[in-house]
Amino acid sequence: MSLWVDQYRPRALDDLHYHQGLSTCLKALAASGDFPHMLFYGPSGAGKKTRITCTLRQLFGPGVEKLKIDQRVFLTPSRRKVEVNLVQSNFHIEITPSEAGSYDRVVIQELLKEIAQTQQVDLNAKQRFKVVIINEADSLSRDAQAALRRTMEKYMSNMRIILCANSTSRLIAPIKSRCLLMRVAAPSREEMQSVMQYVSKRAGFDLPPEAGDKIIDDSGGNLRKAILVLEALKMQSPDLSGPLAIAKPDWETYCHKVADMIISEQSPARVMEVRQKLYELLSHCIPPTVILKTIAERVVDRVDEAIKTDIMHWAAIYEVRMRIGSKKIYHLEAWVVKVMSIYKHFFYDMDMSSFD
Amino acid sequence: MVSATSFVPNGLLSFSNVANILPDENEAPVAGPSSPRTPAPTTFGPPVEASLPATKSSAERALQELVDDIDVLKDMESFLDVGGTNASTSLPLEPPMFKSNGLLSSINSKNSLSDPFIWTGLLSDSLSSQDDDLPQVSEAFSIPHAVSKSTASFPSFDQSTSKFNLKARTFDGRTIFIRRKHKPSPDTRKTASLSTRGMGNLLDVPIHRLLDDISREQAMELSQRQRPSHTKHDVGHILWVDRYRPQRFTDLMGNERVAREILSWVKQWDWCVFGKSKERKRPRNGDENVDFEDEYHRPKEKILLLSGPPGLGKTTMTHVIARQAGYEVVEINASDARSGQIVDDRIRPTLESGSTVGSSKPVLVVIDEIDGATGAGENTSNFIYKLIQLTFDKPRRKVRAGQQWDPNAKRPILRPIICICNDINASSLAKLRLHAYQIRLQKPADVHTVKRLRQVCELEGLQTDTRALSALVGIARGDLRGCINTLQFIKARREVVTEDVIRKATVGMKEAEMSVISVLTDLFSPLSKRRVKELGMGDEEESRYVGRLSRVVDSCGRDSSIAIGCFSHYANLRQHDADFSRYQKANEWLMTFDRFSAAMYAEGEFALSQYLPYTLVPFYPLFQERGGPRVERDQSDWENMQTVKANEEIYKSLGRGLQTASTRLGGDFRHLVHTPIMQLEFAPLINRIISPPLRPVNSQVIKPEERALLSRLVQIMTRLELRFVQERAEDGQLTYRLDPPIDVFVTYDGKRTADIAVSRYAVRHLVAQEVDAELTALQTDIIEKGKKGKHANMSDKTSKARTDDQSSEPSSARPTKRARTEEVDIADRPPTDFFGRPITSFAGAVGSTDNKVVEKKYRVAYKFIEGNSAAVRKPIKVEAFL
Repeated sequence: MSLWVDQYRPRALDDLHYHQGLSTCLKALAASGDFPHMLFYGPSGAGKKTRITCTLRQLFGPGVEKLKIDQRVFLTPSRRKVEVNLVQSNFHIEITPSEAGSYDRVVIQELLKEIAQTQQVDLNAKQRFKVVIINEADSLSRDAQAALRRTMEKYMSNMRIILCANSTSRLIAPIKSRCLLMRVAAPSREEMQSVMQYVSKRAGFDLPPEAGDKIIDDSGGNLRKAILVLEALKMQSPDLSGPLAIAKPDWETYCHKVADMIISEQSPARVMEVRQKLYELLSHCIPPTVILKTIAERVVDRVDEAIKTDIMHWAAIYEVRMRIGSKKIYHLEAWVVKVMSIYKHFFYDMDMSSFD
Repeated sequence: MVSATSFVPNGLLSFSNVANILPDENEAPVAGPSSPRTPAPTTFGPPVEASLPATKSSAERALQELVDDIDVLKDMESFLDVGGTNASTSLPLEPPMFKSNGLLSSINSKNSLSDPFIWTGLLSDSLSSQDDDLPQVSEAFSIPHAVSKSTASFPSFDQSTSKFNLKARTFDGRTIFIRRKHKPSPDTRKTASLSTRGMGNLLDVPIHRLLDDISREQAMELSQRQRPSHTKHDVGHILWVDRYRPQRFTDLMGNERVAREILSWVKQWDWCVFGKSKERKRPRNGDENVDFEDEYHRPKEKILLLSGPPGLGKTTMTHVIARQAGYEVVEINASDARSGQIVDDRIRPTLESGSTVGSSKPVLVVIDEIDGATGAGENTSNFIYKLIQLTFDKPRRKVRAGQQWDPNAKRPILRPIICICNDINASSLAKLRLHAYQIRLQKPADVHTVKRLRQVCELEGLQTDTRALSALVGIARGDLRGCINTLQFIKARREVVTEDVIRKATVGMKEAEMSVISVLTDLFSPLSKRRVKELGMGDEEESRYVGRLSRVVDSCGRDSSIAIGCFSHYANLRQHDADFSRYQKANEWLMTFDRFSAAMYAEGEFALSQYLPYTLVPFYPLFQERGGPRVERDQSDWENMQTVKANEEIYKSLGRGLQTASTRLGGDFRHLVHTPIMQLEFAPLINRIISPPLRPVNSQVIKPEERALLSRLVQIMTRLELRFVQERAEDGQLTYRLDPPIDVFVTYDGKRTADIAVSRYAVRHLVAQEVDAELTALQTDIIEKGKKGKHANMSDKTSKARTDDQSSEPSSARPTKRARTEEVDIADRPPTDFFGRPITSFAGAVGSTDNKVVEKKYRVAYKFIEGNSAAVRKPIKVEAFL
């Protein structure tokens, strides 16, 4: 039995709860017989993958749901073996090239060529082409993206590519221009509420709207997270009575704790304490950019209006540097020190002005 | 063989005493002052106890002076003789040795200094080359020849001998200087001494002194024979380091205690190596180290690990000591391959055979520069690991009658091993340190080094003064090899050594190979006053730190460790930094460092590497502080790395569980595997999903809503391959542990979050049981499907599941066929089944399916299906299937 996230995931375009305009558009495209390459982008948990699966079903019929999952080993030029998981049906194949790390180019090249050079042999198939879904397209390396762009044109007759990304900013322009861009925005509160009511109805219980609101507050437009939280809530207090504590991911709570520490005291000793906490977060494999972002948002929430922009400005700069660099903790700490300095300066100035 | 009498030096022996007991690798045992000397070559009386060292040396000195006086007379005489004839004459006692000289015609003939170690003295400063070989007076006068100090200690320049510059006049009034060099030939000396004895002068000299003389002569002889015959080559081609390398134990300088310690360790092997017949006289100080449990009486640690900075003479010392103790040295150093295989291929055979080919001496294996060997990892085939294994080999039990002699059985090592390294803390040696007897060689006091250098300079005719030499020693930090090399370098250009010359010559030499800690100390604290003086820097020079520190950082070569060290240390400093400006600057530099190194490693821009040291130097102006907190090795970064690795593994196994789940359920969980989603959303929330508040009651009396909860929990856990594994804690209590341990993802700072109650043992027990039952059920499911064919099945099932979903049936307990039977089984479980073990229920399930088969009278063909080993085996007769 799967989790609710999967169990109650809509299977067809008609079942989707929100973004109806997008659904119609997709339906029309699937019917037109002239299906383009596509790029779905939008925030995490907005429903990109759900829409992709629905579109596939619209294209090929229920046959796409017969999935086969296996692993494939690719050999890099340096004779290293790279394992990649493939999810495929008779009509499509789904890969996550970022699993191969810096060798994603090899995966893209070999796999795409192989698929593109074989024609669909199933005469009953609705479409002549196969679809390749590339997940996490924004973490593709430059080389892999370059490898993709020629393939996309050359093998158009046998293959369509659907890219799925959080943002288009890290995709190179040639790829963007070859795709039809589909933005899947995060659902609004009402839409989320309706989805959650639907899920709870299917699961056989009534969700009080207040509890739903609380969950939505915390989820930040991430429907997948909201449904996971809903399930956790239902598991932990099965009768949904009394005051409900909405589960927050622990790393988030911890990040907030760090932010509070930064604001409450600025001293070398505190820098060391914060460093310990940052190490703890990093050791739990929380991506450093997420750490920086979460702490920064919390800090900004709690400080005076005047220095908010400054803090965010520096957070952005240090995030860029962190991406370039390799030792994340240096950059995180540098930002912490910077924030402490800004905060202290701000207070110092305030004091001075009141003296004047 | 030799020296089983085991001279174990204790601290009481004085240096000069050791001189007397030079080893004798041929026959004579090494004898301490108290031990009898057994094979005396001559027909002397009974063994005589040697007198006390102090009195003896003073007596020797007296004798020496006497001999010297006679030397003068003899010189005069021979000179007159030579001067008169102006031709080469030979004295009756020493025909081959006497040569006429060029000096009489005041021509400097070429230097025929044949052997650097037989140095006889009368060398004047004005002339650096000479070649006179005059006969030795003592021989000419038939006086027992006493080669006291000049042989016992390294090339000596006794004050007593240096005053014998002889001045004389020839017939025609020319003034000449007479110098003398004697080249002792063993043969002549022997005859000389024998003849003296024959002449009845025996009573002049106490017998013990004669005995000492004899043993000393023998030692001389041996050492001469052993000495590599580089005398034939041009002297200028030999490095001074080699030329003045100590040859004998008494030549060793510096920390005598260390040398003795090593020697005594080597001596502990005597019982094992040289035979067990000789008994120890009495237990000595060093004896508690000997492990008498050991059949072979070997020392407890079979390996000696000698460490110390380069250039102090570790290798030389081991060689000398090994020879002293009567061993043949087999050396393995960095020039040899040092993989684990070498231990098997070279070291073990050498140790087992006990001696090298064509030699009667036992071997001693010296592994030089062992810190460069492989050994850091956990790999069992690395060098260090194998070496340690070597020492563990137990003595073989006695071969019983009728038992086959096993040639492959490992024999214990019976020969000592000495390992030499520079850095005792090298990670590759971590394992070895536990099993080795560690000796650390410190640099000797500067005075000793200076003295030795002065001797070398004088021998080489290099003018120098103490100040220059101590400056050199200070810069080199006691590195004797470096000092001697520098001197040779200077000598190649000029004759005089002054402080200035030294400064110029040593510009690049200092600070070779420093540890990370010492580099960090340099970065965070200013130079000590003493060091400033040693380096001879002025105030201005001292304040110029960039060049100096960047060289220091560069020479260490481990930039990233230094950067981490800087990072972990800077916030520890006491200095007050009100607005964090210095912290910000420091962090800017660290980030620059990080970006450089990232560019280097990610994009191959290795040209940047030369700038890396400069990014770390600014820590000096920012944070330097006299007497600040000491830099300590900070482990937190490394520990963090280890935790990250461990947690990544857990994520991986969780991911694998998700993969299998998605394979079974038609790709349901696959979207949760992706990197940020799993860490940020799935991992924390699945922990909450799988810990519902259950009461620990028997599964039979459970409430229906709780049963639904339980069954859902069990379903999820089995799908994701999460299990509770029973474990016994250290205090003997049984616990259930989650496997894979994904609860670490809700554990921060060692504490679980408050909103997840730790389920009690009984609850986990209940869940674990149910999970096991479910797993076995799944297995049978798969077996059943396997019969029909995997593919048809999966699609069949998924599509069925989908239609179920579509029809929006309240499917919190959507029962598959198998699940239904399972539930029935649980319900029908006979009450006698007290423990409610899954096995019985499963057995029932098997029984029921079997019954069905029997009823329908199918023909059954059984086929073994690979990979299903969890099935419960039960003996069933074949009739049951037919």
